[in-house]
Amino acid sequence: MRDPRLAKLAELLVNYSNEVKPGDWSLIMGELVTLPLLRELYRAVLEAGAYPEIVLSDPESGLLRVQLGNDEQLNWVSPLQEMALDKADVLFRVLGTDNTRRLSSADPSKLSTMRAAARPMFENYIKRASTGDLRWVIARFPTEANAQEAEMSLMEYEDFVFQACMVDEEDPVAAWRQVQADQDKIVAWLEGKKKLVAKGPHLDLQMSIADRPFINCRGDDNMPDGEVFTSPVEGSVEGWIRFSYPSLEGGRKVEGAELIIKEGQVVEAKADKGEDYLLSQLDTDEGARRIGEFAIGTNYGIQRATGDALFDEKIGGSVHMAIGHGVPEAGGTNTSSIHWDMVTDMRDGGQIWVDDELLYENGKFAIL
Amino acid sequence: MDPRVDRLAQILVEYSCEVGPGDHVAIYASHDAEPLVRALYRRILRAGGLPYAFQGYGVYFSYGGYDDIFFSEASDEQLKHVFRTDNMVLREFQAMIVIRSQTNTRLLSGVDAKRQQLRNQAYSELHKTYLARGAVRELKWVVTLFPNDAQAQEAEMDRQSYADFVYAACHADQAAAVASWQEVDRQQARLVDWLKGKKQVHVEGPTVDLRLSIDGRTFLNANGKVNMPDGEVYTGPVEDSVEGWIGFTYPAVRYGAEVEGVELTFERGRVVQAAASKNQEFLEKMLDTDEGSRRLGEFAVGTNHQIDRFTKNILFDEKLGGTIHLAIGSGYPETGSVNESAIHWDMICDMGPEGTITIDDELFYRGGQFLID
Repeated sequence: MRDPRLAKLAELLVNYSNEVKPGDWSLIMGELVTLPLLRELYRAVLEAGAYPEIVLSDPESGLLRVQLGNDEQLNWVSPLQEMALDKADVLFRVLGTDNTRRLSSADPSKLSTMRAAARPMFENYIKRASTGDLRWVIARFPTEANAQEAEMSLMEYEDFVFQACMVDEEDPVAAWRQVQADQDKIVAWLEGKKKLVAKGPHLDLQMSIADRPFINCRGDDNMPDGEVFTSPVEGSVEGWIRFSYPSLEGGRKVEGAELIIKEGQVVEAKADKGEDYLLSQLDTDEGARRIGEFAIGTNYGIQRATGDALFDEKIGGSVHMAIGHGVPEAGGTNTSSIHWDMVTDMRDGGQIWVDDELLYENGKFAIL
Repeated sequence: MDPRVDRLAQILVEYSCEVGPGDHVAIYASHDAEPLVRALYRRILRAGGLPYAFQGYGVYFSYGGYDDIFFSEASDEQLKHVFRTDNMVLREFQAMIVIRSQTNTRLLSGVDAKRQQLRNQAYSELHKTYLARGAVRELKWVVTLFPNDAQAQEAEMDRQSYADFVYAACHADQAAAVASWQEVDRQQARLVDWLKGKKQVHVEGPTVDLRLSIDGRTFLNANGKVNMPDGEVYTGPVEDSVEGWIGFTYPAVRYGAEVEGVELTFERGRVVQAAASKNQEFLEKMLDTDEGSRRLGEFAVGTNHQIDRFTKNILFDEKLGGTIHLAIGSGYPETGSVNESAIHWDMICDMGPEGTITIDDELFYRGGQFLID
């Protein structure tokens, strides 16, 4: 028998996150190893009266392209994928792999080339998402490789994932509606505010949030979810931040990353591990050194970092910042082919002040 | 089938375990290693042996691969139980092939160390029997690895590249694989012979200047009989003789913790100064384990030049051609070592193109090559 939580997760993604309606062309994308969740999504989309289409990818073939591809081949973008992302009504992107380090020894400049080539497609996708033309969600299917990366057995990891998504609860949809209501209060309080200062043992930052709305992440685009974020005014970010948790990007681990930011631009960067990779990513393009996002994680069901941004950035009691692409819904104007979230713990003395009022202290909202 | 899989099986059966007619041979592997298990099964039958394939995660006592369930569910009584098949294999069998092939290398990260300790205690009698039978080759056991995704991920590689790495390290990419290991055995036997009766070792390199005595100690030839891959000669230095300084060029890995840039200074055999560029606290804690953990239990020279990179797996790393390694903690009695400790922690140092080992004033080794006749 299938894990009942998997069916509940699929139903949550279809009926709550993406609100699939009859007639929606619904793309379901994932690697081979995620097939059990893709099938559950297929079933739930059918039950919603829409048109499911599974798009499977084989990561070993993807690696071959990086290893063997010439410049033209690396710069090539599949017209099939381009068309699908331009026309589909709904997109489910299921994460989950059979080797999280597959790309560790791949040439980072080739990866950057491929990412840059896909940028117009990515921008179109972001644009369609921001206008509501494309309803999308990213979710994770728990695999052995991801469990290993999280230093857990598969059974423990499944519990971790499903708990974070609240699909172990009787009524996951109701639980997520409650998250939405709580976060609405925070977003409303932040409306019209101008200056944000975040400080603590791991950071000392200030930025302008004037005319930048905070967005309520309530499980509509990410599952799990639980954060409020904005794109700070591009040139306004000043200060220093050290990220508490390792970040795994493109199969490479970056630990102890530290950034110094002046006039919205990363002017100095170092890391205990993976510094070369961090620096190469900062040089991806013009926008890669700018701050695309500042956010506060609110999912207290996630208590440990696992090296997976989808989960780590939601940790209740943490904040995160992304270098690279900004979010248009939040007023962000920065463009880049990267958007790299890095997370910092606030539970040991972190504070957030907004227009000289205390918003947040030691991982909890002071205004709630 | 990948021909290298069958060649690895051939090495393990014909060379490592020397399986003969009537030998009972246990194989421990996960389902990921199925291709190698099938090849072994065939090779063992052809050699006249009797193969027993057990599902397990490459521990001597196996839980059918359900180790995480065993440790989370077992009562104390169940934890203390010695399984009958383990008794049978370790007391009665002639050979045992353990294939590291976990589908998740971090399966037991969440297990309480106390529960594991309880388990180890319950098996301590059997463990002694296994060591004793192993020492006289009454039980010919060998540990190897199958390159599945989990192992590749641990090494931070994709599976194909990792498989190339593993099979090359085991010489399974060579047509005459068994002959190649026989040659390793001969070459290393020559070294061990030459080292007999020698007294003083002086290791010099870009990050090392160390003197130690091997007076009365025996070098052993790690020739692929109990580890595959293999390739090292090692001994236990005279406990109070080690003097000097070494900076290890690779991270020292233990219990998943990595200590980078370890530097040790020895006086009269004891570590008197220890520094690390990362995780120094852990290093110091380990050094303070007991009396023996500040002394060397092993001095070894890696000889496997087919291993060309560090992968955070001691089965491979300590054999890297062009490196030496030292272990703080317990020594091997077969070498004459009398150092006792609850730990045995190997740390590896690249000798570079100019690093030398001088023995009784004769130049023995330079830049990964042995210079004796």
